Amino acid sequence: MFDPVDDLIERIARHLRRPVQIDPALDGRVMREITALPTPGGATALGKAWRWLRRPHQLTLTPLGGLAAAAALAVVVFLSRMDRTPSPAPRAESRVFQFVLVAPRATRISLVGDFNDWDATRTPMRRAGSEALWTAVVPLAPGRYHYAFLVDGSRWLADPSAPVARDEDYGAPSSVVTVGAGGGDS
Amino acid sequence: MGIHSVGTSDAALVRRVQTGDTGAYADLVARYRDRLGRYALHMLGNREDAEEVLQDAFVRAYRSLARCDDPERFGAWLYGILVNRCRTAGARAARRARRFVHDPAALETAPLAGPDGRAEWDDTVRWALARLPSESREAFLLKHVEELEYEDMARLTGAGISALKMRVKRAREQLQAMLKEAERV
Repeated sequence: MFDPVDDLIERIARHLRRPVQIDPALDGRVMREITALPTPGGATALGKAWRWLRRPHQLTLTPLGGLAAAAALAVVVFLSRMDRTPSPAPRAESRVFQFVLVAPRATRISLVGDFNDWDATRTPMRRAGSEALWTAVVPLAPGRYHYAFLVDGSRWLADPSAPVARDEDYGAPSSVVTVGAGGGDS
Repeated sequence: MGIHSVGTSDAALVRRVQTGDTGAYADLVARYRDRLGRYALHMLGNREDAEEVLQDAFVRAYRSLARCDDPERFGAWLYGILVNRCRTAGARAARRARRFVHDPAALETAPLAGPDGRAEWDDTVRWALARLPSESREAFLLKHVEELEYEDMARLTGAGISALKMRVKRAREQLQAMLKEAERV
């Protein structure tokens, strides 16, 4: 015998399950928008490495190791400035931003984000002055960008000095910077 | 998941896009447009918002295609992006509603229609659905309309299975109460 409640819910669900037709013109709008974007870089070795990094892996960290990691992250600075450094070529209306990370134990660091398709080869950070200080300079047009630091090719760090992006879309923590039309960041 | 591939596999299309064949993305958009559009439409309650969110989800997915861990499950991954875009759009719409609707009583007396005719039943279902809290609406749609398993729902929403079961249960109870009331009017 049918439970009347289940019957009612099933009627609602059946009604809502009917196919819905969305205007096919949406396809054209999407394609117009993406043709202005760079090709997603998933086919490269680093793309594969990125996917590997995004899978869950067990990480054992001793209390001492945890302290060392915390020390490496203790000071992270994000600076914004006008800069004439031409690498890579900025787009029209973009401003150059300098990302700074203090990580004394790191041997190599890449800055990855929406602005470089999360490609770890495109924006390596360089030591600047002290052994502990790493910097990278990136031109950013007005907009909102998610970014993170890839340390020694395996450790993925959000920027604790910047607003945290909950990264609801992708499930991994990252930071977010918003570049206003006047070139300021927030 | 209630999303299945037809013809060329999703994974093959994703790989073509990743190697520079942007046109292959059009096949993915066409494949998922209506299926994802249905969820967005029911979740947001109006076609304009649904299409805007859907377009945004497709563009975000393209930009982040390198981060799609398993191209075979592109549909599920894309679905997750859409669910989150709907949440953001829903929260924005709720803020707009709080800002501009100054007469809560008007909402309470929104027209009710009995399920006598198809159009009236459609109005009534949409009205009841819109009155559910967004979390309950999301859970109900994913479970009963998209027919996902709780494990898949948990992956998409980030919520625990117990919480999702509770949301579905509450949604069912609230819908039942609202629809019974509507049938009496």
